[in-house]
Amino acid sequence: MSNRTNGQTAPVADVQLPHVNIDDLIVCLKYYVDEENAHIRIKDLAICAACDPKPCLAFCPAHVFETDRHGRMMVGYQACIECGSCRVACPFRNVDWRLPRGGHGVAYKYG
Amino acid sequence: MTGRLTFDAIVVGAGPAGVAAALTMARGGLNVIIIERGRFAGAKNLFGGVFYTHALADVLPDYWERKPPFERPVTEQGYWMLSPDSAIRVMHKSERYLKEPADAYTVLRARFDPWFAEQAAAAGALLITRTTVTQLLKDERGRVIGVDTDRPEGKVYAPVVIIAEGVNNLLTQQAGLIASDLPPKYVALAVKEYINLPAKDLQIRFGLSGPREGVAIDVFGDVTLGLPGTGFIYTDQSGISIGVGMLLDEFVTHRLRPYEVLERFKHHPVVRPYLEGGEVREYGAHLIPEMGYDRMPKLAGDGVMVAGDAAGMVDALHREGTNLAITAGKMAGETALAAHQAGDFSAAFLSRYRRNLEGTFVLQDMKQYRRMTDFLESSPQFMGTYVNLLNEAALRYFTAHGIPKRTMEHDILKMVRERRSFTGVAWDMLKLMRAMRG
Ligand SMILES: Cc1cc2nc3c(=O)[nH]c(=O)nc-3n(C[C@H](O)[C@H](O)[C@H](O)COP(=O)(O)OP(=O)(O)OC[C@H]3O[C@@H](n4cnc5c(N)ncnc54)[C@H](O)[C@@H]3O)c2cc1C
Ligand code: SF4
Ligand code: SF4
Repeated sequence: MSNRTNGQTAPVADVQLPHVNIDDLIVCLKYYVDEENAHIRIKDLAICAACDPKPCLAFCPAHVFETDRHGRMMVGYQACIECGSCRVACPFRNVDWRLPRGGHGVAYKYG
Repeated sequence: MTGRLTFDAIVVGAGPAGVAAALTMARGGLNVIIIERGRFAGAKNLFGGVFYTHALADVLPDYWERKPPFERPVTEQGYWMLSPDSAIRVMHKSERYLKEPADAYTVLRARFDPWFAEQAAAAGALLITRTTVTQLLKDERGRVIGVDTDRPEGKVYAPVVIIAEGVNNLLTQQAGLIASDLPPKYVALAVKEYINLPAKDLQIRFGLSGPREGVAIDVFGDVTLGLPGTGFIYTDQSGISIGVGMLLDEFVTHRLRPYEVLERFKHHPVVRPYLEGGEVREYGAHLIPEMGYDRMPKLAGDGVMVAGDAAGMVDALHREGTNLAITAGKMAGETALAAHQAGDFSAAFLSRYRRNLEGTFVLQDMKQYRRMTDFLESSPQFMGTYVNLLNEAALRYFTAHGIPKRTMEHDILKMVRERRSFTGVAWDMLKLMRAMRG
């Protein structure tokens, strides 16, 4: 457990996780989407193509990362809740991550 | 060109650390600006929800008269240790928690943070929202002299900048106070839902006599699939804050979706009845810095200080962070006041900020738990194995099987031995002790 290399994945034994439709969770959030400005970009799509475990498909709490029919990485930055996980957890540092412009992005009502 | 926009001090971020710093400096007579990227203070902030009042009372002695938007006082608190089908609950309830103001309240950040920021504004600090600080401005000798923002002509100058940007420490890195990003093994990812429930139902379910009582539960074991991490259930005024957090590395390694881990927790047979009929009103996620004392950034440089999550000031074991942030923000603010008096904004002068913090619970607690993150990483069995073991032991202990008690006790010991060798147990306990003693 301790000497992990980044990008290696291992299942947790005997655990069945319930399926969650993330869209149902995201709809209750308020966003002020910056249509002209994506604050998250993939630096190099070829790196994603070669990234075997693609952990971002799982750990991103808003499921912003998604592959299209051809396996190409797509980033739905509009749903991002700005946690910052992909910035530090992409094993190849392949995510260009910025803060959205002031006033844009998610706005919690409860937090 | 008109003259440049200059203040006595700039604070980046209107979370607890930034607001406490701004409030302290404004009270001390400085001309202060707080720059916040959210549409309002708190728009970007989410936490589990227990807020400790001691630090607030320190910066705002009359806070109670100012009617802070607290949810419920915490009058019962403790731990649930979940196995897949059972729970051991160790809860503490006391008459002594029933006083006003209480020592701890549950809080929703999108309600609390704007109130706190308003108190700083009332003291004279200028709060500018919807503005992201993009860069620190430095002079030719590398001293911080202001910030640039994403506003047109958005440069602002001051001899001292207090960075209170939270866990995503981009500016702290830019200031050269920390060398790099936090690796995913030193940062926890937490997801949370706010679930609406009529106060009456909530009170019946949690055994509360009215709105002046509230419960804070931290959960171990099956909640995180036995991996290092915790869950929480806190009662709000008419809702429940429920969430789970684990080191980001665990999500990566096990390819777990955080919202599915939370959903599983919500479906746990012991948890589900509490949520019945509740509506999810909000979902969100946030990181928690868990780099520990030894990996904290430098707290001061020339013309700059850093406070709160940006500086790694979190005590994960006791779910404390807002109080550390407030106390540190206050001390950074006091140091800025002293720097103005002395006319000295050098790193050498500002380093008294750290010295002062060494004398408080902030750095003393951080120091005491310096080995905690490494301990959990090196002892993954701690959560899962022991919590399951306790539950099974409890099941045997509380059930009459028609066997002599001595046999029952023997069975329990045997069970322990099968799961983990005695030397293993002893070693775990030793390491836990060391991690807790510092
Ligand atoms: C799930 C969870 C549960 C927690 N539970 C508890 C608990 O029960 N009790 C407790 O005391 N603590 C808890 N904490 C910890 C606590 O939330 C933090 O320690 C605390 O919020 C830190 O305060 P801060 O002011 O340093 O940072 P933050 O509260 O993160 O504030 C930072 C602010 O800076 C703004 N900002 C960032 N960058 C910029 C920029 N470039 N320009 C302009 N603005 C910027 C952000 O929008 C934000 O408003 C929890 C945390 C999490 C995530
Ligand atoms: S973003 Fe990072 S983790 Fe995700 S597929 Fe690309 S390289 Fe892999
Ligand atoms: S910041 Fe968080 S929510 Fe946004 S894309 Fe990255 S991991 Fe997903």
